[in-house]
Amino acid sequence: MEADLVAEPILKVEGVHTFIGKHHILQGVSFTVHPGKVTVLLGRNGAGKSTTLRTIIGLLSPSQGTIFLRNRAIHHLKPYEISRLGIGFVPEDRGIFNFLTVEENFRVAMLQEDGKTREMMETIFDIFPDLKKFWKTKAGNLSGGQKQMLAIARPLVNRNELLLIDEPSKGLAPIVIDHLIDSINKLKEYTVIILVEQNFYMASSLGDDFYLFDDGKTVHQGQMQELIQNEDLKKKYLGISG
Amino acid sequence: MSPQRKTWLPKLAVIAIFLLPILIINPKTYITLTISGLAMGMLLFLVSSGFSLIFGFLSVLNLAHGALFTWGAYIGFTAFTLINKWTGWGGPNSIFLNIVIFLLALIVAALLVAVLGIITERLVIRPVYGSHLFQIFITVGAMIVMEELIRIVWGPNDEVMPVPFNFMGSWDLFDVVVSKYPLIAIVIGFILYLIIFMILRKTKIGTIVRAGVENPEMVQVMGHNIYRYFTGVFAAGSALAAIGGGMWATFVKSIHPAMGGEIIVFALIVAIIGGLGSMTGSVVGALMVGLSYNYVAYLVPKAALGITMLLLVIILSIRPTGLFPEGT
Amino acid sequence: MMNPVQLFRLEEKEVRFRNPSFFLRILLLLFFVLTPFLFRSFEVLDVVLKIIIFAALVASYDVILGYTGIVSLGHVLYFGIGCYFVGIFMGKLGWTSYGHLVLSFLIAIVISGILSVLIGLFSLRIRAIFFAMVTLAFMEFTFILSSQWRSVTGGDDGISFKLPGILAIDFSFGKILGVEFSGRIISYYLILLLSLFLFLLMLRFVHSPVGRVLQSIRDNEQRSIALGYRTYLFQVIASSFASCVAAVTGGCFAIWVRYVSPDSSLSVSIMLDVLLMVIVGGMGTLYGGIFGAAFLMVTRAFLPKLQVLIASLLPGIPFAIRLSERWLFYFGLLFIIIVYFFPKGIVGTAQEILARRKRE
Repeated sequence: MEADLVAEPILKVEGVHTFIGKHHILQGVSFTVHPGKVTVLLGRNGAGKSTTLRTIIGLLSPSQGTIFLRNRAIHHLKPYEISRLGIGFVPEDRGIFNFLTVEENFRVAMLQEDGKTREMMETIFDIFPDLKKFWKTKAGNLSGGQKQMLAIARPLVNRNELLLIDEPSKGLAPIVIDHLIDSINKLKEYTVIILVEQNFYMASSLGDDFYLFDDGKTVHQGQMQELIQNEDLKKKYLGISG
Repeated sequence: MSPQRKTWLPKLAVIAIFLLPILIINPKTYITLTISGLAMGMLLFLVSSGFSLIFGFLSVLNLAHGALFTWGAYIGFTAFTLINKWTGWGGPNSIFLNIVIFLLALIVAALLVAVLGIITERLVIRPVYGSHLFQIFITVGAMIVMEELIRIVWGPNDEVMPVPFNFMGSWDLFDVVVSKYPLIAIVIGFILYLIIFMILRKTKIGTIVRAGVENPEMVQVMGHNIYRYFTGVFAAGSALAAIGGGMWATFVKSIHPAMGGEIIVFALIVAIIGGLGSMTGSVVGALMVGLSYNYVAYLVPKAALGITMLLLVIILSIRPTGLFPEGT
Repeated sequence: MMNPVQLFRLEEKEVRFRNPSFFLRILLLLFFVLTPFLFRSFEVLDVVLKIIIFAALVASYDVILGYTGIVSLGHVLYFGIGCYFVGIFMGKLGWTSYGHLVLSFLIAIVISGILSVLIGLFSLRIRAIFFAMVTLAFMEFTFILSSQWRSVTGGDDGISFKLPGILAIDFSFGKILGVEFSGRIISYYLILLLSLFLFLLMLRFVHSPVGRVLQSIRDNEQRSIALGYRTYLFQVIASSFASCVAAVTGGCFAIWVRYVSPDSSLSVSIMLDVLLMVIVGGMGTLYGGIFGAAFLMVTRAFLPKLQVLIASLLPGIPFAIRLSERWLFYFGLLFIIIVYFFPKGIVGTAQEILARRKRE
């Protein structure tokens, strides 16, 4: 029995070019995301990883290329349409509403308020117990780590197929990062994750597949296990060694 | 930015404005002034809250807001006159009927101006999202067009605004003369404030609007068609301005095409003092301006306007973004 | 051997003389100088001079709007200050000597400068958008103040006054080339000279190092801050420079009409006119002020005549009459259309077309 069944990909990004103003940020991005795996996008600052996520969720429009969610083309759709098709987005700045309570943050996220959603909330509370504790607190009063958890947990409430997470470890202390890694690990069973991460420790702990970005292009891909061993690649595209 | 800002400052300011004049003015006059101050405050709140909300949510500077105010007054005027002609409810009848016709006129004004607002948002505002500069230009043009349209349809002269019979005059309570209409205005204004508050705090739409004031992009990403909300909020803000217009006209008993331009400056000041994008700020700011204006107008008539400017200067010096942060 | 900057400046200078628009400008100046000789009608002279004055005012507004990139809605406040100081000195106080005239200008300039610095420091630090609203509030406040303060400003009725010596209406220098050189004509040339001076001053300012920093702030504020410039300070400098210029144009206006009142010098409608003119003419192109002013003044002068014509053709329904009367309505519509389709204004669009041709 083949250990790696080639399942139908959830997301297919092919030859995407994106401009921001006059700047040609993405110059040919292609990758595939398979269910049951965490796909990590790696690369230096400015390589185009965040821009890629923003293009997928529709905040930016690709000038060339296609993006398919299962068999559906989404590259020309508006963000709220794409979101409703089942993609959740956790931006770099977290995007939580500081003046709203945790409860209200979830309320904005919920597209339906039915039994299934309530069930999902229970699961969320299991994985992120702090959110239950601070349910009625204004989101702005949470700690950095809790804010990140809220940002990640929020889109889950709609049982999204796909979750895009942009640099969650930013600004967090190592012990909080460990906690975060645990939580995200538990999420694997509920949703497919695309993770953009600069922190290699986090990326390697969570990732199954990886894609390396350089100068707005996807230049290398493979299994995370290989990358951990490959010093050359790490040095060349990530500037790290050891 | 933590939401835990010092909330004692605005509360202190309001209390100070309320209480200090007691030391100087005799109690009976004080009560009369306070009531007219509160009434003026409520009306200013109606106008400035619409502006503040539109700026907070859509990030649009709508300088045509004053024109919407004027349209509200004129439509209210026409509606009231017509309904009264058919039913006579505005005359010496039961106060209940008076209230009904008054509210009807206001509702008609609010609805029609909301439609006007939707048209304005779609045609005039949408193309200039993101550029405050062009918003200023184009809303100024829209304001000119709307004002001129009033002059074309109704004529360029002042008109006398009819007041429901029972709203005129005053009551004599314990030797204190209390004008009837300001009191009614306060009640209606307060009820509207409660409605807005309830909608914003308790309903899902309200929560989404408050979220959108903080981060419209994120709201979109979470699956909501933010453009529909934009139009809706613009319409709501316009309706508020219209109600403010109708009520203001009844307050001063006259309407003229330029009335919007006069009020917009006050509304701007109130919105800035209170904090753009904050409902609570609009209320507090409006009350402060309304009360201080009335007290000072009594004590030193010529300085009444000055006090408003002074308030603006003081508050901007202490807290440049206004008393309350966006989204509260 | 010259350094790159010097080389660049030299190249620019050479291009300047070969540039066709340079001769256009000389032609324009010639036109203004010869107007009293070309047109004997006072009405035309009045329109042309108002174009000159407002061109300078709009150019000063363009300095802050088009070059510095900040929006003020109360710029006419300084125009009004200029008007009023001349009016108060000549009229209310009766200090009618040349020296006093000059003094009134100087005081107006100083006060405008100081006031705009205060307002700027105050409101530019937060968000530039507050600047727009605060300036509007201040201008409105001053408007109401001048309507109320009868003892100083003459209230709503304003102040009428006479001017000293050669500027007085009844003065005559005699005829030159068939034109009676009255005080009016002399005032005309005085104002033309002053406005030309102001215009050249503004050109110098926007092309100076300070001016270039302002443009960089307008284009990319973040980068300017990153480069170490205290952007709001530069904005305050630009704003106060522009206000001083505006004050002088105000004084000129007062000299020409010999009358000052809240409506004629501080009203929001004048501010709207300036906005219209800068948009029609083109932002970020000082010359746009000339075209914008020309557009507005000429239309204002001749539209009423067109109206009478149209009204005579339509039946006597009040609504229809009013429809033709309220030309401002069409103006507003035209304004919106111009903002849509020609956001760069006349001069801006022309520059764009020329630049495109050069590339091909």
